[in-house]
Amino acid sequence: MNLDFLTPYGFWNPILWLLVIFVALLVAYLIWLRGNSRYKKGTEQTKPFLSGYAPESKEAMMVSASNIYWGFTSTLKGYYNFLRKMHTGDIRDYLGWYVGIVAIMLILYILWGGA
Amino acid sequence: MPKLPTKSFDRSLWVFHVNTGSCNGCDIEILAALTPRYDVERFGIKLVGSPRHADALLVTGPVTRDMEDKVKRFYEQMADPKVVIVIGSCGISGGVFHESYNLVGPVDKVIPVDVYVPGCPPRPEAIIDGVVKAWMKLERLRREKK
Repeated sequence: MNLDFLTPYGFWNPILWLLVIFVALLVAYLIWLRGNSRYKKGTEQTKPFLSGYAPESKEAMMVSASNIYWGFTSTLKGYYNFLRKMHTGDIRDYLGWYVGIVAIMLILYILWGGA
Repeated sequence: MPKLPTKSFDRSLWVFHVNTGSCNGCDIEILAALTPRYDVERFGIKLVGSPRHADALLVTGPVTRDMEDKVKRFYEQMADPKVVIVIGSCGISGGVFHESYNLVGPVDKVIPVDVYVPGCPPRPEAIIDGVVKAWMKLERLRREKK
């Protein structure tokens, strides 16, 4: 079976690439073997270096996905705070909003809708 | 006079420098040892950015209360064998700050010290001499561990 492909973009042979990956992994493994094996597991030696400060929990150190919108939410803080107050979690409040908005829309319709 | 090494060192020396309350005088002299006039990097002495990568801890200044836990952590984060070098009179005895309310004390009150380099500040030649002494001790410790 011939696995050599000569495409308009160049030469491609999957076996050759597998060989390259194997050699790269081997080199990486040899470098890893030369590392310091005297580290004591479970001590400060295996903890991250944070300029001398004690490492916090992983949850506190990681940047959450919501931080992508930090600039957006920070700029519109006043607006969000107002909206947050409206979101009480009480279904009666939401129904009150619903009835109120429907009433306003009905009034508007009665006044100008028929014209 | 200590016996000088007759052969080259086994490995280069990676050093982590920490200022625990120094006035920066000693730190400037350490930098001077790295400048082209002395150029200690040509001997394999290199400053690194993490104690986890370092063989030697180079400390300048007396230990302030704020730095006490940090310098302990720096020391604990270094892999064995390791050496600690104190540069300057303040790190050795507290120096002109020895009666300050904000000090825990000299460096050896917080972590074990291997080499002391006195001076206010010590000259780069003295710093290099101290580092070489620490290096020789480190090589000896490595051979003993093997």
